[in-house]
This record gives sequence, C-alpha cells and structure tokens, in this order.
Amino acid sequence: MARRSTAFLRTTAFRQTLLSAALFALSSFVTLGFVYAASAGMMLRRADAAINEEVEVLDQRFQAGGIATVNRYILQRTVGGGADYLYLLIHPSGRTLSGNLSGLPNVQPDAEGRLQFTYRRPLASGGADESEKDDRTARGQITELPSGYRLFVGLDVHEETRLVSRMLNTILAASALALALGVAAGIFVSRRFVRRLDRINNVARRVRAGDLQPRAPRTYSGDELDELSENFNNMLDRVEALMLRMRHTGDSIAHDLRTPLTRMRNRLDEALREDGDLEAREQALERAVADTDELLGIFNAILSLSRLEAGESRASIVRLDPADIAGDLAELYEPVCEDEGLAFDSEIQSGLTMLGDRGLVSQALANILDNAVKYTPSGGAVTLRLRETGDGMIEFSVTDTGPGVPESDRDRVVQRFVRLDNSRTLPGSGLGLSLVQAITDVHNGRFELGEGPGVVADGHGPGLRAALVFPKAPAETE
Amino acid sequence: MRILIVEDDREAASYIRKGLRESGHVADHAADGEEGLEMARAADYDVLVVDRMMPRMDGLTMVNSLRKDEDRTPVLILSALGEVDDRVEGLKAGGDDYLVKPYAFAELLARVEALARRRDPETVRTKLVVGDLEMDLLARTVVRNGEEILLQPREFRLLEFLMKHSGQVVTRTMLLEKVWDYHFDPQTNVIDVHISRLRSKIDKPYPRALLHTVRGAGYRLQA
Repeated sequence: MARRSTAFLRTTAFRQTLLSAALFALSSFVTLGFVYAASAGMMLRRADAAINEEVEVLDQRFQAGGIATVNRYILQRTVGGGADYLYLLIHPSGRTLSGNLSGLPNVQPDAEGRLQFTYRRPLASGGADESEKDDRTARGQITELPSGYRLFVGLDVHEETRLVSRMLNTILAASALALALGVAAGIFVSRRFVRRLDRINNVARRVRAGDLQPRAPRTYSGDELDELSENFNNMLDRVEALMLRMRHTGDSIAHDLRTPLTRMRNRLDEALREDGDLEAREQALERAVADTDELLGIFNAILSLSRLEAGESRASIVRLDPADIAGDLAELYEPVCEDEGLAFDSEIQSGLTMLGDRGLVSQALANILDNAVKYTPSGGAVTLRLRETGDGMIEFSVTDTGPGVPESDRDRVVQRFVRLDNSRTLPGSGLGLSLVQAITDVHNGRFELGEGPGVVADGHGPGLRAALVFPKAPAETE
Repeated sequence: MRILIVEDDREAASYIRKGLRESGHVADHAADGEEGLEMARAADYDVLVVDRMMPRMDGLTMVNSLRKDEDRTPVLILSALGEVDDRVEGLKAGGDDYLVKPYAFAELLARVEALARRRDPETVRTKLVVGDLEMDLLARTVVRNGEEILLQPREFRLLEFLMKHSGQVVTRTMLLEKVWDYHFDPQTNVIDVHISRLRSKIDKPYPRALLHTVRGAGYRLQA
C-alpha cells in the first residue's frame, strides 16, 4: 500500500507538472525581482536627487553668507521638528552647531559617498508616539565645507525601504506559493492520471489472468487516456472474437473430423477382417483412402482460410476482367449442371474491370456454383450473372431454385463449419462459404446471401441468391 | 526412368521411393539440398523431386544452383501447405511443376512421368497422333478415322493436353491446373463431366476407346 500511495511520484505527469511549476515559480521570481530592482532603485535615486538639491541650496547659502547663513538656515528649518530633511552642521572641533540628528551616522559610505543608516527621531522634537521610537532608515551625504566645517544632509527613507522590503517579501511569498500550488496541482493531476492508468492496468491484468470480459472505463473526453482506453477495448474485442472463433473452430474441428475419422477407422477395420475376399478388402481400403482425402481436403481448407483471415494471403491483386472469370466458370459448370438435370444460364456483362486475384475470385465463384449444383434438386435452374450494380460495384451472382437459406440462418452459414441440418447428409466441410467470405474480405468486397427466384412450379424453392460484390478498379492513370 | 528424391523426411522419401520403384523406376534419395546438389551433378537423372523446406540447403536454392550450371533436368517441387507455398516463387526458382503436400502418390507419379516426357527434344510439333486420332495444332482440327470432330476451344485444349501426355496417367488436379489454370479443387466432379463430354465426341462413335479412366488416379489417353 505504501508503494501505491506514492506511486504518483514516479509518474510522468507528476514530473512534468513539477517541472513546469518550478519553471513558473522561477520565472515569476525573476520577473518580480526585476520589477523590485527597478522600483527600489528608482525610489533611492529620487531620494538621492532630493538630497543633492538640498546640498546645492545649502552650498549657495554658504557662498552667499558663509557658515553663519548655513547655520541659520538649518536652525530655521529644523525648529519645531517638521523638517523634511535631516541636517547636521558640525564645527571643526566636532561640536554640533545645528541640526535635527543626534550625531553623524557611523557607517561606511557607498561608492557614491552615500550613507544609509538607521536613526531614532529625537524625542524632544515632538510627538513621541510608539512608532516614532523605532529605528528609522535614512540616507544622506556628508559635505566638507571650507575651513573644516562638515555638513550632513539626509532624508528619511523609512517608508520607502519598508515598502521595498515588503515588496521583496511579497515576491518571495508569491514565488513560494506558485511552487506550492504547482506541486499540489502536480499531485492532483498525476493522482488522477495514475488512478485512470491503474484502471486500465487492472483490466490488462484481469485479461492476462484469463477473463476476457472487463473493458477499460471510457470518459469519452477524447483525451489521450480515453483514446488509449478505446484502442485497448477495440483490441480486446478483436482478441475476444478471435478467441471465440478459435474455440468454436477447435470444437467444430473435433466434432466434424470425428465422423469421417470413425468411418475411416471402421473401413480399415473391415479391410483387416476381410481376409478371404481380396476384392472387398481392396474396396474397403479404397474407401478409406477416399475418406482420408476428404479429411485432408478439410485441413487444406482450414489452412487456406486461416491464412486468408490472418491477412497472410499471397493474393496477387491485378487488374482483371471479371467477364473472363465468369465466362470460364460458366463454361466449367454448364456441363455439370446439365448432368445434374439443371438448366444453366449465364448473363455476363463485358467491359468491366476490377482489382483482384484471379485464382481466389474464381475459387469463391466456384464455391457458390458448387453449392448451387449440390443443393438444387434435379429439374431446377442455376443462373450465373455478372453485372455492374446501380451503385457502381461489380457483382457476380449465382441464383438457384433449391431450398435456399432461411433469413435467420444467412449470417450463420458463413461461419466456419456451420452446416444447416438439411445439408448434413451431403458431402462438404462447412468451410466453403467461410472461404468465400474471406476471399471477398481480402478484396474489400462483400458476400451477400438472399432469396432466389421464389417457389418454382414443382414446389421447390424459394431458392438462393449468392452474390460476390467487388469494387470496380479505379480508372487507369497512365 | 531414374529419379532423384531430395527430401529430409526419411519416411516420406522412402514412401515415394517405394512407389516409384513399384512403378518400374529407379529412385535415389538425398537427405538435404547439399547432398541433392552433389548427387544431381554426379549422375544423370530424368526427373528431380525436391522438397522445398530442408536443412542445410533448401530446395529453391538447390534448384537455382542447378539452373545456373545450365542443368535443365526437370524438377518437381514439393511443399507443405502452410509453408510459403507460393507456386510462382517455386517456378521462378527453376522448378517445372509444383505439388502441395499432402498429395496422393498417384498424383506425384503422374506429374513425375509428365515431367520426364517434357525432356524429349523440344521440337515444335504441329501434329499430335494417338492411334487413329489426329490433332492439327495449326489448323486447330481434330480428325478420327478420317472424320473431323468438332470441339469447343476448352475441349480442344483438354484433348491437346491428353494427347501430349498420351500413355501417361493424367490426374484431375493436373487437368484443372494445366487446362483451366485453377489451383483449387472444386467440390463437384467438374473434370469428370468434361472428360465424359469429350469422350462422347472422340470415343463413343468408335469401336475402340482411347480415353481410359484410371481408378484412383485419373485418366489416360492410349491407343
């Protein structure tokens, strides 16, 4: 559990959020720091400029009336304690002549000769409320006057420096807050992320354990995780369908092969017991060989089908004329139909072009023709048509007057090994139509089963219409 | 006929060998492509039967090497379904015919014998004759006992193939492949129906039958 509760710390989302929070905090620190430096500097420069002006004024007084004028000026200014400036005029002996400062500040001047220091407002100078007792910050400069007098002119910058330091604190606090909020957001986002990922991982774990039912939760927000869930679920659907089909196929193979295998076993057994009658023995063996061929045929069909469905077919898709395919097969099956007492007719539209593998398309068409011949009772009719449909597709269709396939079974007969009850007695593997479906799929076409011409005169019907529908070949670009 | 079987499956090889010997041929066996190549170079065989997938050197490489040495011995390539059984690839490598496992022995025998026949100097024949049946390949006419027989184009090709392989067994699959160019087995007996149609034209009116059914194998046209 300890591992789980801190798992978010290792997530990419958390690291990303943390990084961006740190970057944001740093950039706000730098920006505000720049504002701070600019405004703090400006305040001090203004103070210094005012001090310079006052020094200038005092200097003029000195030029005009000597030290006495300066002293008088300072006295006038500082009387009553309301002076804007801080003054201190010091006799060469070190005695204070005038001024509102208790003594020269004992600090080193900076590069421009400015002094920044703290002082206390003299209590005598008036209202002694609590705040006035505090140390206050001031700036100023000492001017050496001729004959050894020293003049200090300064300015109280207490409010300014307080503002500046409050600004600095605010900046630091804001940066820290940004960082803290970023981290909190990171935790929140990555926790959510981890929770959603955990759900997907849980599904994967359960599937691995053999349960194909669970699906990753969807938010339908279209974000990456939702897309992942969707893809994940689609993959599971496909896996489940394949598994089901495999299981079904496995069962069907076992079921369908048992009958011919048992028959073959019995025939071989029979052959063993026919010691006297050589001819009967040979016949039994021949029938056993025929059974084996049937079994091998089923295996071959399964293999071809698997390869087609797995997309590993070696289909060589070329431009071809479907009329050639239909024509060749019409010619191949026409005598077969005649032998079976079926009327065969073909209507073949020429001038069409499709992309396909001649072998595979022929095989699919042969399969449905085989079925028509097999299931249509003598006296019926089989029709092969090739035409361009209204929506511009190429359609091979075979119509017969046999029993047809009930609508409810039409989806089912395409599945592997599915044989309808009335066909169980006829030879066949139950793979023919699956193969047809796989072949039309490979060609991006469709396989359609529908009703035939209806009930015919002798009570047979309603017949079956099986159609292979393929897209037309795009016009040649050359 | 002297036949070399190049096949790594010893049981399958001995089954083919036994069958070929029983049919009156001499059959040798090589267990892989390298051995097969050595043996094929050392002796003069009429036909090579070469399995596609073998250790050390596969069948296609072996046939390719032979063809580079100007060795034109006919080759029948065997391939298991489910392996890469691309017929085109096999024929491109120099194979003359292609048979997918599992097959009936009769099928293999018929194909081996058909291949051996191909070795005859490839003169361009314009006339085929079997007994009193004659086919003119240029005029596209068939005459038996002096009477012209009218055939559909496909029937003509079917008869042409049978006449070119007269005296040999020709299987249904061979006919489907060589006459119709289909490499799948229809469920219904399409070939039998076509043969019987042909038979009714070339044999029925005459006292002696030329087109024989070989039980368990196929057909043979023989005078």
